[in-house]
Formats: sequence, C-alpha cells, structure tokens
Amino acid sequence: MAIEKMALVNIIGRFEDLDETLMRCCDSGCFHIEPAFKNEANSTVRLLNEKNPFGVPLKEFASLASEMDIKLTETPSTRFKGWKAEQFNELSENIDSEIEAKSKEKQRIAKEVSDLEGAVLQVDHLRGMNNDFSKIFACKHTACRVGRMPADNLAKLQYYDQTFFFVPFETTKDFCWGMYFCAEGDKELIDSIFRSMFFERIRIPDYVTGNTDEALKKLDSQIKEKKAQIEALDKEISQLAEKHDQTVLEAYTALKKRYDIFELRRKVGAVKEKFYIKGFVPKKNADKFSEGFKDMDGVEVVLLPADADANITPPTVLKNGWFTRPFGMLVEMYGLPKYNGFNPTAFVAITYTILFGIMFGDLGQGFLLFLLGFLISRKINKPAGGMVTRCGLSSMVFGTLYGSVFGFEELLDPVFENFGVDFLPLKIFKQSTFILLTAVGIGIFLILVSMLINIGIGFKEKNYEKAIFGCNGIAGLVFYASVCVGVVCTIMLKIEVMSLPFKIFLIVIPLICIFCRVPFSIAVKYKKWKLSEDEEDMTIGGFIVENFFEMFEFLLSYVSNTMSFLRVGGFVLSHAGMMMVVMTLMDMTASAGKPVTLIIGNLFVMAMEGMIVAIQIIRLEFYEIFSRFYESDGKAFEPMSVSFDTEVNV
Amino acid sequence: MLDNYSSNATTAKIRAKYAQLFTLDEYRDMAALRSVPEAAEFISRSSRFREAFTEVDPNTIHRGYLEELLYRENFETYIRLCKFQGLDKVPFFGFLIRRSEIECILSIINRINSSLDRTYLSDLPGYLIKYLSIPVMELSNSQTYEELVAGLKGTRYGRLLGRVPVREDGNADYTECELRLRTDYYAELLEQADKEFGGAVSDELKTMILREIDCRNIINAYRMKAYFGFEPDEIKRRSLKFYGIGKKNMERLYEAADAEVMMDMVNHTIYGKNSPDTDNIEVEINSVKIRRLRHYLTGSTYAPVSLYAFIQLCDIDVSNLVTIIEGIRYGVEAAAIEAQLITL
Repeated sequence: MAIEKMALVNIIGRFEDLDETLMRCCDSGCFHIEPAFKNEANSTVRLLNEKNPFGVPLKEFASLASEMDIKLTETPSTRFKGWKAEQFNELSENIDSEIEAKSKEKQRIAKEVSDLEGAVLQVDHLRGMNNDFSKIFACKHTACRVGRMPADNLAKLQYYDQTFFFVPFETTKDFCWGMYFCAEGDKELIDSIFRSMFFERIRIPDYVTGNTDEALKKLDSQIKEKKAQIEALDKEISQLAEKHDQTVLEAYTALKKRYDIFELRRKVGAVKEKFYIKGFVPKKNADKFSEGFKDMDGVEVVLLPADADANITPPTVLKNGWFTRPFGMLVEMYGLPKYNGFNPTAFVAITYTILFGIMFGDLGQGFLLFLLGFLISRKINKPAGGMVTRCGLSSMVFGTLYGSVFGFEELLDPVFENFGVDFLPLKIFKQSTFILLTAVGIGIFLILVSMLINIGIGFKEKNYEKAIFGCNGIAGLVFYASVCVGVVCTIMLKIEVMSLPFKIFLIVIPLICIFCRVPFSIAVKYKKWKLSEDEEDMTIGGFIVENFFEMFEFLLSYVSNTMSFLRVGGFVLSHAGMMMVVMTLMDMTASAGKPVTLIIGNLFVMAMEGMIVAIQIIRLEFYEIFSRFYESDGKAFEPMSVSFDTEVNV
Repeated sequence: MLDNYSSNATTAKIRAKYAQLFTLDEYRDMAALRSVPEAAEFISRSSRFREAFTEVDPNTIHRGYLEELLYRENFETYIRLCKFQGLDKVPFFGFLIRRSEIECILSIINRINSSLDRTYLSDLPGYLIKYLSIPVMELSNSQTYEELVAGLKGTRYGRLLGRVPVREDGNADYTECELRLRTDYYAELLEQADKEFGGAVSDELKTMILREIDCRNIINAYRMKAYFGFEPDEIKRRSLKFYGIGKKNMERLYEAADAEVMMDMVNHTIYGKNSPDTDNIEVEINSVKIRRLRHYLTGSTYAPVSLYAFIQLCDIDVSNLVTIIEGIRYGVEAAAIEAQLITL
C-alpha cells in the first residue's frame, strides 16, 4: 500500500514527427505531460504557440454537419490518416459547393422571415393606431416618428416648451410605445430631445401598409409563405446530406483528434530545430512506453528517475490492494499525498470499515448493504460500490455480535446459547456505558496510532519538530498517552499512578517540549538557538504569547478529538433506538400491515442512518485522524488523452 | 424607536441580495469583452439585473440608458428593501431619497453656473421623479440661481441655499452650496441615527456614516492638494466638519506638505491599511471602505446598518460596471480597466 513509482520521460525529436509522437503518447494511456517551456529570459526552450491549422476545417465540417442536419457521432476511419489541413479544407469546400446555393437561399429566406417577425412584434405594439401607415408617413409638413421610450420619462414631456405632441399606444412595465409629431422644420431639435430621453425609433418597413390590423394580417400570410419555401429547401438539403454524411462524420472525427493533438503542443517546448516533451509514466509501464517509439528514428525517449528534475513535482498514483482500493476515493476527495509521501488508504480502509460496522451493526441490514454494494459497483460507480460492500460485511459481523437482525434483537440468542457463549450478544441498552467508554477507547487508540504514523513520517522527512517536539510527535504522544493512562487508572481503576516523577517526566517535560518545539528543533537541526525559523526579530514576549495560544489550542484539540469519538457509541445507541421505534410501530399495526411496517421501517433506517453514519465517519477520518499526520499536497496523475466532442470551441 | 430585532427578515434578505453583487472574476470577464452590446448582454444575464433587463434588447440599447438602468435597479432595490417590512415609515430610511435630491439640486446649480440651464430635464433620471419631495422638473427649468432658490421655497434646501451669497454674475459658489447641502444631510442623518435607534445600532450607524464622511474628505483634500494646490486652511474650510478618525488626525492630513506626504500619512490610518497599490485615490480609499462595509454587512444583525452598508456597496458595484462599460466603449485594455475598479 504505497505510492506508484514514476519515471521521468524526456522525448526529443524532429518537428515532422511531433504530431505522431503526441498521438502515441495519447494512445499509450499512461503518459502525464508537464509543460516543457519555462518562462525565463535565458531559457533555451521556447514556447510552441503556432496557430492550430485544423481549427478552420474543423469549424467548417461542424458547420456543414449543422447545415445538413447531420448528427455528429464518433466515426473512426483510416481514410484521412496523414491528411494535412489544406486537404481537409479542400474537401469541405467541395461538399460545401454542392449545398452552398441552397443553403444561401435558405438563409436569405430565413432572414426575411426574421425581419417579418420583427415587424409583427413592432406593429403589434401600435394596435391603438387605426390610420393607414402610408398616409401618415406621406405628410409633407409634419414629421412623425414611431418608437418606444422609457415609461419613466413620460412625465417629463409636458415640461418642454417646444411644439410637439406624443401619442402613446401601449405602456408596459418599462416602456411606452407610441409616436410623436412635430413640424418638419423642428424635427432635428425634437429628435435630439427624444433621443436624450432614450426614445428608440422603429422604422416601419415599406411593405407594411394599411392600418395595424391589416398590416398584421399581411405580415402573417407572408411569413407562412416563406416558411413553406424553407421546408422545401430543407428537403433538398437532406437529400444531399444522405450522400455526404459518412464522409462528413469520418472527416470530423479525424479532424477533432488532429485538432486536439495539435492543441497539446502548448505544453511542448522547442529547442532549435527539435521538439522537447517532458512528462511522467508509471515505472512499471516505462519500458513498454519507450518501446512504442522504437520504430521512429528521429525520436529519442530518455527515461530518468522521477526526481531527476527539481523543477517539476512527480504526480501521485495511489497503489492499493483489492480490499483498500475503493477507499482511495476518500483519500482523493481530501487531497492526494505528495509523491514519496505516505499513502493512508489502508489505514482509512480498515478504520472506516470497522467504525461503520460498530455504528451500523445489523446482520440483516448489513447483508442488504452488501448486495446493494454489488449492484452499485456493477451499474453505477465501482469504488462507491466496493466501499458499500465492505461496510455491509462489517455491519454483518458487528450485527452478529449485537445479536440484531433487521431490528429483532433476540433472534440470535439461541445460536449463542447453543455455542455456550454467554457474554454475547451485547445488549446495547443494558451495556450503554460500556459502549460509550469503548467508543472513547477506540478514539484514544486511533489518535495514538495517528501520532505514531506522524512520528514515522517526521523521521523519514528529517522534520524533527514534527517527529519529536510537535503536538503529534513523541512529546505529544507521551503527554497524551500519560494523561489517558493517568485518568483511566485514577478514576476507573482507582490506582494512584499520578506520582510526582510521573507528572514531571511524562506530563510537564513533554508540555515544555511542545511549547518550545520550534527553538528545540532548530537547535537539533542547525545546532544554534533561535526562537523562530522565519521571523528574525521574534522577541521572547512575542514567542510566549504566540505559543501560549497555540498550546491552548493543542490541549483543547486533544480533549475535543477524543470526545468526538463518543459519536461512535452514540450512533450504536441511536441505531438500536430507531429500530426499537420500528418494532413498536410494527406491534401497533394490524397483522396484515406488520410486514409492510417492518420493511418500510428498515429501509428508512438503512437510508437515513446509513448515510449519516457514512458522513460521520468521513468527518472522524478527515478531522480527528488526518489532521494529525496527513498532508495533501500531491498532484493528480492525469494521463494525456483526446476525446470526441461535438462542441467546437475554436 | 424601532425594535432592533423586528427587522431581522430585512437583514436576511439583504444578505441574500449581497450574494448577487458582481465578483472580481465577473468584473474581469466583463472587462475582457469587446463591445457595449456584449457588456449589456453580460449584465442582463446576471441574477442582479436580469429582471431590470427583461424588456431591453442588449444589442440595441443606448449606452446612456444602459447606465441609467443600472442606477435605477440600485434605487429600486433600496425602495423594495425599505418597503419589505415597512421601514420606509422611519425617517432615517429616506437617506437615499434625500441624497438623490441633493444630487439633482447640485446638478441644476452646476448647469446654471455653466450656462447650460434648462438642460437638466433630459438628463434627470426618470425613475426618481415620483419619489422626490421637491418639484424637480419645474426646478430643472430654472434659468438663474435665484429662480432655483425660489422654486425650493418652503423646503429645507431652500433655507440652506438662500443663505449662500449670490455673486455679481447672478450665480452662487457651487462648492459652498455643496458643502452646506451635504453638511445638513449628514448632520440630519447622524441625528436620526441617534434618535431613532438606540445602543449598538446607533453606534454602528454613526461609525459607518462618519467613516463615509472621512473617505469623502480625504479624497477631496487629496484632489485639492494635488490638482489645485490649496492651502490647509482653504481645505479645512471646504471640508465637512464631521470626523471619524478625530478632528486632530484629519487636520494633520490637511496640513501635510503635499499630496504625496498626505497619502503616506493616510496609509498609517485605518483608511490606508491593506490598500492596493494604485495611483487612483478613489480606488485606494474606497477599496478600504469596501472592506469595512462588508464587515458591517456580514457582521451586523441590525437592518439599518445592513441596509446602509448594502446600498453603498451597490453604488460601488454599479460604479465599477459603469467604469467597465466606459472602458470598453473607448477601447481601453482590460488590465487598465481593472486597475480603475474599486475592489478588495
């Protein structure tokens, strides 16, 4: 259960082989590309920022497909292998020339329909006007304008001295539609006044004649006529589409791949006449990956250790066994560990499964969860299904210990009696104190294990503050363990262990170490005395104040983290309590309704309690456990790939 | 006196509305657009302005009307929030209406002084007309300062402006008029904050108002120093006599040797902390102001405090949008536009 070892790959080759190289990198499915270009003044590697030549033909084919109403689907073919952008352009022009005339005609008529519809919309607002448009606009000495203005500005009109009058037709929430009249000689001044009040003039088309109702009828019949023409053209275009659809689909699929691969050049560097690609492959695939380029004479693949380039961080791939693999999802959700870091998946898998079983212990419900997990992993999500399966099994085990089957708490009693086991099953409501204390005990154990992991990681990283003096280092471990032992012995076992040496060596000295963790770790590492690693001018007063509050937080976190595990016991009781309610409801129902109540009750408890327990354990893992040792500063491994897409964002 | 807790729903509503203000990323996306119709389209898609743009075609909208729509939405948001729980019955909540009245009067004075009298009617925001207590449309036809004062007779503005001496050319000093109107506005606002609300509400409101005045005074003092070379006494005379950081501290800023020294001194006050590195005094001071307003808006549970802070944030939001629209209109680079925005 570790982290997959990586190999750094440098690929150098001639520019004519670049596309083929990128394609092979994609096809390998295991190459994580890193930007080869560094934005530095003296860098010898320059950026490849050429314009993608496949953008234009790709757009052309997408538009051809749209014009011919061809649904774009992935249609691989070897027909276009090695084709250049110009060849694709030529092909699209050839197809386009066949449909161009019809398509243009269709567009022209569609534009006319759009204009007519626009005119309908405008004329519709002038329903109050019953005069012939042509007569009004034919006036020689009177200018008139039709349009709309913000309704807020209507009140201002009466305050103007100029001679004009405005006839409103329709007022909506924001606008008033109408027309104004003024003397022909004043029209420029009046126009400027109305413009300043945001009057939007509507130009009534010449073809609109008669009064409003007559104009609307005429417009409607014209629209119908034009739409019929569009339908006829559509039929002709679809006949052409049948002839060309295979070519368009194959060309689009090939182009999309070529376009995407060309786009990947943004991460490729250029050194003189050669390209330079940098990336990572899992070490186990490195040789196979390298062999994939053997037939390309101009391309050289160099495999190096993952940490050979200090400027790039290798990506992280969690290496998990069959049992722990589904729980990698939770670790990824929190954030990946860094390469060479600690993979906590196994720890999460074990603790999550056990805690779930404890909190949701029921043989019957666990079995159903187990089956549900299988279903989810097959049909919906494999890792999620895997987690549910494992949690279901754990629930079955603990359900057996609690003697609970679908809420029937006495069903397994005879089985245990037959085997002569008298301390089982655990009767939850009779042993509630034991359950709660056990929950806290589990919490203490998990916190101690988390600290031990932290100490191991600290020593591996040579981080002495983390490993020895920190609140989760040896000092913290000794302090926390001693306080727990002291409290348990004194209060529960009535053994007086809190002697003076115990207090001094196991409580006070570790506390001093935590308080002075920074200067102590600097002393160990650099053999000199400094209060802070970052701040040169840290005063003793400042140091004491800062560390006093931090100490307070540490001590509080020991208590709160431990008490947080009480929820484990709490949910054992809550689960049993909810099932007791289901049983009581079942007893209250008539005999015909009992099975229904039992089924609905169990399903309800499974859904609600199951989800809450799952979330609560995630909370315990992330806050109480991960916060003690885990640093999620890793980078995800993203193999280079291209995928088919009908959206063209060129 | 308003019960402090009776208007919790308004506070909750304001916080929900606060989430609709534009974010820095949205400003950036908008500044990268190439034309005013694109900007109008962008704004019309936002949850804050969607409703206001329902009848508008972003492709044909006049730039001036676009900006007026933004200001109108701010004003109507204020009216809706005041009416939501009947807060408009409390005099304090008329603050935006009074401020708008002052802006209208000052615009008319400015036009009379510039011999552009009778031109304000076209530019008068139509949405204000029904809410103002002064006959603004009659006033916009005033040709002289005396006509304007006569039109305002019987109002508090008439009394204030009547005391401003009229010069030989028949005009009055604009700065003097502005000083008197704003002094009266803030004095009334502070008095209302004191009388109509008690305890913490009153304290928070007064602090917020005094800081708003400080920002106004600092910006004006900087301009007077940097662009007009005014002496400290002249700056003192032309500044509002209310102080959030104390009279002595503010006067020390006025007495600074030059604008640069003054800004150094400002950077050591609460108005200079964490301010972005910019040459634009308004951006610098108002960026700090935003932080404080957000603090009040998210921290206070009192409707008057939340509303007052929210309206100022809305004003800043619209002023940023207008800056972007103007920038796009004149083909200014997106980065240069961004530098003029008032953000955190």
